[in-house]
Amino acid sequence: MTEFLFFIEVVVSGLLAGTMYSLVALGFVLIYKASSTFNFAQGAMVFFAVLAFVGFMELGLPFIPAFFVAVLLMFFVGFCTERLVLKPLISQSEDTLLMATIGLGFVLEGLAQAAWGVEVRRLDLGIGDFPIQWIIDTAGLFISALDLTASLVAGILIIGLALLFKYTKMGLGLRAVADDPGAASSIGIPLNNIMLVVWSAAGVVALVAGMMWGARAGVQFALVDLALKALPVLIIGGFSSIPGAIVGGLIIGATEKVLEVYIGPFFGGAIEGWAPYVLAIFFLLYRPEGLFGEKIIRRV
Amino acid sequence: MNANSDNILEIDAVEVVYGGVIAALHDVSLNVPRGKVVALLGGNGAGKSTTLKAISTMLAAEQGKVTRGSITYDGTRVKDQNPTDMVRLGMVQVLEGRRCFGHLTVEENIIAGAYSRKLSKSDINDELEKVYGYFKPLRDKRKSQAGFTSGGEQQMVAVARAMMAKPKMLLLDEPSMGLAPQLVAEIFNIVNELNEKEGVSILLAEQNTNVALRNADYGYIIETGHVMLHGTAGDLLHDEKVKELYLGISKSGRKNFRDVLREESA
Ligand SMILES: Nc1ncnc2c1ncn2[C@@H]1O[C@H](COP(=O)(O)OP(=O)(O)OP(=O)(O)O)[C@@H](O)[C@H]1O
Ligand SMILES: [Mg+2]
Repeated sequence: MTEFLFFIEVVVSGLLAGTMYSLVALGFVLIYKASSTFNFAQGAMVFFAVLAFVGFMELGLPFIPAFFVAVLLMFFVGFCTERLVLKPLISQSEDTLLMATIGLGFVLEGLAQAAWGVEVRRLDLGIGDFPIQWIIDTAGLFISALDLTASLVAGILIIGLALLFKYTKMGLGLRAVADDPGAASSIGIPLNNIMLVVWSAAGVVALVAGMMWGARAGVQFALVDLALKALPVLIIGGFSSIPGAIVGGLIIGATEKVLEVYIGPFFGGAIEGWAPYVLAIFFLLYRPEGLFGEKIIRRV
Repeated sequence: MNANSDNILEIDAVEVVYGGVIAALHDVSLNVPRGKVVALLGGNGAGKSTTLKAISTMLAAEQGKVTRGSITYDGTRVKDQNPTDMVRLGMVQVLEGRRCFGHLTVEENIIAGAYSRKLSKSDINDELEKVYGYFKPLRDKRKSQAGFTSGGEQQMVAVARAMMAKPKMLLLDEPSMGLAPQLVAEIFNIVNELNEKEGVSILLAEQNTNVALRNADYGYIIETGHVMLHGTAGDLLHDEKVKELYLGISKSGRKNFRDVLREESA
């Protein structure tokens, strides 16, 4: 019985960690949907956003105002990206756009470090990384409070965005642009406004993801590499699917943890680093469009 | 010229160049009288789509540019507008190849057409009802994913979607493309109904000369970016050269107007 409880505990903590992957992947999905481009700057956006947030706190702003100023800053980054990078490149190929996001990534990394320095910062969200007594008492599971909070926040953000896309006019516009930008434009959907919204949303997602990862591992340059963590999630879930980002993140999180605990010892540990990629390669071979990736519908 | 002019659209000696080098239109002039249906006819690569995209300002997205001449729509000189501006002015283009949003439902596709208008939920429902009144087969398909509906249904979705923008003028690019004759007739019936009941002026590009002329008031025939001939639909249908070159009632091996003109001047 304790064996089984322990397994559940491993899976649950894996799933919770997985929501964090989902969150990072979500940022990519948003931009991929609108412009069919893998946004290489997403990791840099995470780093930039959370470093700015910590910077504002260091200036003496309390938590909530600092958060909102950081949100405004990410809107501004979205605005500048649309005006200075995307608009001049409109009607260019997706490869050109891809290059542009790589450039944007370097700019954001540079700006962040110039403004706030390079040293690792601690981010204290006031939630400890320790098990919750109540859950130990009722279910006998050791679940970290930070993990749980982080997944709650990630969950709310993801569900909120999904509802927005399903039920609002802006969401309909975004889905139309995702399907066929030319046709969307022909009925008067303003592509630049949609881009603005999408990049701003991706900026806020980056900020929240940065805060959650930063609280766990410190606010540091390594956050830029979160982009790499999202890649297997995107391959499994499909690049253009919000449900895919969620499920992909959960699968990676849970698999990673289970493998780490039960098989890791045979490989001398540290299996977490590469297991997701093995899983991703498996998907690439057998289901290249991902679990939820929209199969291209052929126009008849 | 003003908004009360008899013509809702006037195109004067327009030249269009793609990517700064390839001239697709050399000298195209045409008028669409208010409330009428005008057919723009010609074979592959004649410049029909280019003409329509010059009017709707969709050219810019393909690095195309109007380098000479003028386009005046409803009293407004078309120059620096973008497609969103044009839709707000009441001009909507239905692109070649239908271009439905494949992953959206039929109804979502149609609602997306109202994006440029500020409508309440109940306004949208009223408009939807009205549109389904014209496009009757779509009512039963409203919940279907548009990408999985038939070609005829997709063409209906594309036109219905455009109607949701409450256009004064529709630009239809090859609505008959790839459809069985019966469906083509059905689509053209609806188009005529929209023209009569909603008062929408229509410029339609077609390769299917016969069907287009039977459903239009006036016609223009273009080849390689030049207007070769124009006249009322009735006159064109009975014109010997049109019969020979475009209606497949051929007596000789002549293929286009250039050949005819060359032979006649020889
Ligand atoms: N985006 C583009 N870039 C460069 N040249 C183009 C582009 N689009 C069209 N052309 C060229 O412009 C000319 C006119 O093309 P257009 O698409 O207007 O013809 P069309 O009459 O619509 O033909 P079809 O009946 O095949 O649709 C052709 O020579 C074509 O190759
Ligand atoms: Mg064409």
